[in-house]
Amino acid sequence: MNGIIAYIRSKLSIKVSLRVVVSAAILFIAALGLLFFQAREAVSQEAISRATQILDKTSLRVDSILNRVEVASDMTKWLVQRNLDQADSMFVYSHSMLENNPDFYNCSVAFEPYYFEEKGRYFSAFTKHVGDSIRTIQGGSDSYQYFFVDWYLMPKLLDRPCWTEPYFDLDVATNTSEMVTSYCQTIKDKQGRMIGVINTSLSINWLSKTISAVKPYPHSYSIMIGRGGTYIVHPDTTKITRQTIFTQTLEQPDTAMTALGHAMQRGEAGVKQMNIDGKDSYVLYKPLGKTGCSMAIVCPESDIFRGFDRLQNTIMTIVAVGLLLMLYFFIRIITFELDPLRRLATEAETIASGQFDAELPDFQRIDEIGQLSHSFGNMQQSLVKYIEELKKTTAQKATIESDLRIASKIQLGMLPEKFPTRADRDDVQIFASLTPAKEVGGDLFDFYFRDEKLFFCIGDVSGKGVPASLFMAVTRSTFRTVSAHESMPDRIVTIMNKTIADMNKNHMFVTLFVGVLDLPTGRMHYCNAGHDAPLLVGTGVGKLPCDSNIPVGFMPKWKFSLQEAQIFTGTTIFLFTDGLTEAMDANKAQFQMERVNEVAARALANQQHEPRQLIEQMTDAVHQFVGNAEQSDDLTMMAIQYIWQHNDARMRKSIMLPNDIQEVPRLNAFVEDACQTVGFDEIDTMKIKMAVEEAVVNVMEYAYPSGEHGDVTIEATSNDVRLKFTIIDGGKPFDPTVQSAIDTSLSAKERKIGGLGIHIMRQNMDSINYERLNNLNVLTLRKKLNNKN
Amino acid sequence: MKTTIQEQDGRMVAILVGSLDTSAAPETEKTMSTLNDVEGKDIIIDCTGLEYISSAGLRIFLGILQNAEEKGGNVYIKGINENVRTIFQITGFSNIFKFI
Repeated sequence: MNGIIAYIRSKLSIKVSLRVVVSAAILFIAALGLLFFQAREAVSQEAISRATQILDKTSLRVDSILNRVEVASDMTKWLVQRNLDQADSMFVYSHSMLENNPDFYNCSVAFEPYYFEEKGRYFSAFTKHVGDSIRTIQGGSDSYQYFFVDWYLMPKLLDRPCWTEPYFDLDVATNTSEMVTSYCQTIKDKQGRMIGVINTSLSINWLSKTISAVKPYPHSYSIMIGRGGTYIVHPDTTKITRQTIFTQTLEQPDTAMTALGHAMQRGEAGVKQMNIDGKDSYVLYKPLGKTGCSMAIVCPESDIFRGFDRLQNTIMTIVAVGLLLMLYFFIRIITFELDPLRRLATEAETIASGQFDAELPDFQRIDEIGQLSHSFGNMQQSLVKYIEELKKTTAQKATIESDLRIASKIQLGMLPEKFPTRADRDDVQIFASLTPAKEVGGDLFDFYFRDEKLFFCIGDVSGKGVPASLFMAVTRSTFRTVSAHESMPDRIVTIMNKTIADMNKNHMFVTLFVGVLDLPTGRMHYCNAGHDAPLLVGTGVGKLPCDSNIPVGFMPKWKFSLQEAQIFTGTTIFLFTDGLTEAMDANKAQFQMERVNEVAARALANQQHEPRQLIEQMTDAVHQFVGNAEQSDDLTMMAIQYIWQHNDARMRKSIMLPNDIQEVPRLNAFVEDACQTVGFDEIDTMKIKMAVEEAVVNVMEYAYPSGEHGDVTIEATSNDVRLKFTIIDGGKPFDPTVQSAIDTSLSAKERKIGGLGIHIMRQNMDSINYERLNNLNVLTLRKKLNNKN
Repeated sequence: MKTTIQEQDGRMVAILVGSLDTSAAPETEKTMSTLNDVEGKDIIIDCTGLEYISSAGLRIFLGILQNAEEKGGNVYIKGINENVRTIFQITGFSNIFKFI
């Protein structure tokens, strides 16, 4: 069953046909139902009127027969009363009665006992049919004393003519009896005395046949009942005179039958629809004139509606067959009409499987299917076109993505990758991480060592993606370029700002923090250009105080302020971009500064605030907070821990010289002595001597105005790790470390005479560092002791 | 610091003995400036006795080389000790001078 339903659901033709045919069937049934109902009414009316007519006719005929009997009886009575003197003529009258009315059953002209003395006690001229002839005899005898029977007594007692109830008339001669009804009236002499009775009988059987002769329907029949309800005419002859119309209702109460009986007894006429002997029937009834009888015609409905039912069945059969044929043809026609659609569907499947060039069938139709086919063709062409475009776009996108990946690598490659730890350096350890939100980002950090100084910066370019990344690259290289010649963060930022602002046509900007940490002393100079203030995690957790400078990039003339702070050994400087504080979880809530402080404080409490540990803890906290939400902004963190240990001096010597180069041999002797004291070999000693000489001669030649006297103090100190020369003078500020390095690969002709000094200092020493302190130039040269010392 | 200029086998030879530091440089430069007038002869700087050289000394060497190259002459450095050769290497002077 489910299989059939599924099949029907999959077939449009069957579905549509079924709907149409079912609708048509409903319409037909409704229309035919109404039609049949009305037709049935009409047929029923017709049947009643027909039966009524027949009933009327039959009633008329019965009336006429009865009338004839009465008239013949009256005529005979008239003849009898005129000829009372001739007894034998009574036989003639009686005979002629039947002769003239062959349908009468018998006739008696009977007289009072001894009315005709010559005839004795009994005289009754009795005529009846015997075979084809009519026989008239004297009917009275001792065995049949007629003056005691009903037909004689009734008119005599009532003194008027009357019809008897049916009774059995016994024929003594043949000893047969016949059910008859008689019309009887008295014969009177001239004095008005009753002298006899004329009795004319009709055979009930004959009457019944006459009544039943005309039938409106094959199975209809007539009944007649007498005054008491006794059946006089009934197809079942056993019931006649023996049963009344009520007999059956005594056994099985039948109100309809009882009502019919009463109505007939009251002499009413009408129609009743009722069930008789298990058949629905119409009963039409009418009184029969003066006899007091009532007759009825019973017409079974099956008879009345036989033709109608046959017609109805035929029509229903035709309609059913018609509907089935209609269903069949509909399915065939719709299937045929939809065939192109099925082919189209097959082709569509082919196209859907990826064969975009599949050829579509050309239907040459202008109806909806034709339009669909046409539209489908257009769709196919568009599809081919779009797929081509999509391929191209995808390829382009792949190229862009590949470019972006490369760009991302290049960008990350710009950032320092090697982070110094305790194992690498004894002054500072650094760690940083940068996670771009997209392939490339606008955050940057950088650090490098120059001489005894750590230069570092962290920045965040406005915006995201490729534009920001380009701006970031520019910022980072500008930082490197500028800081090669400038050691003060405010100068660095101011120059960077001017450089970037001059070429910034897109009004981008970058918040920037630049710091320069003097490693030997722990003094940090810094300049903050609109960036988040870094945290200092050391003796506690606190923000580094920062001036409110504008970000770098849009006001070329802005003068950025310089700030200074002392960083103590063990303190970690934690720098970050707003990607940290503004990291968002799925509900758009931000990580915020409080959480940063909490994580830092916890790290400090656990003594886990070394750069890598701190950043890892911060990263974990952010990941835990953000959950599965997409990273909203670039996230960059950098931590710098100052770990310088000021070891006790192993050696301390100093010398003060005037600004005269003739003092150089003294200087060299001092340096040689110091070097030998800590155990440097000849080559290292010469290198150190050369470097210190360059530094001191620089001071002698440039620090003081020409001809003016000035001193330069050279201090040599050493601990277990290094030998340090500190050159101090009170001349004009001069930073030799920002002199550009010479190119040692140039030919003799291209080489400049000057510029060698700083190169020699850098090459020969491990570090040089310049500071301006208390109006003094302080230049420090350091050389690590090696295992030969 | 002692500087001697001689002519040997058609070549000008400058013999440097001692430490050529900044203080000694002006004197040495003055003595060696005579080499700048020489035409068409190769110059040999004999550094066998040179114990030390500062950047001021290197500048003198460079000046002589540039001058000689302009005139089409060659400058050779002779007998340089390991310490001083290290200085030449650090400064890239080893690339522009010829050593014998």
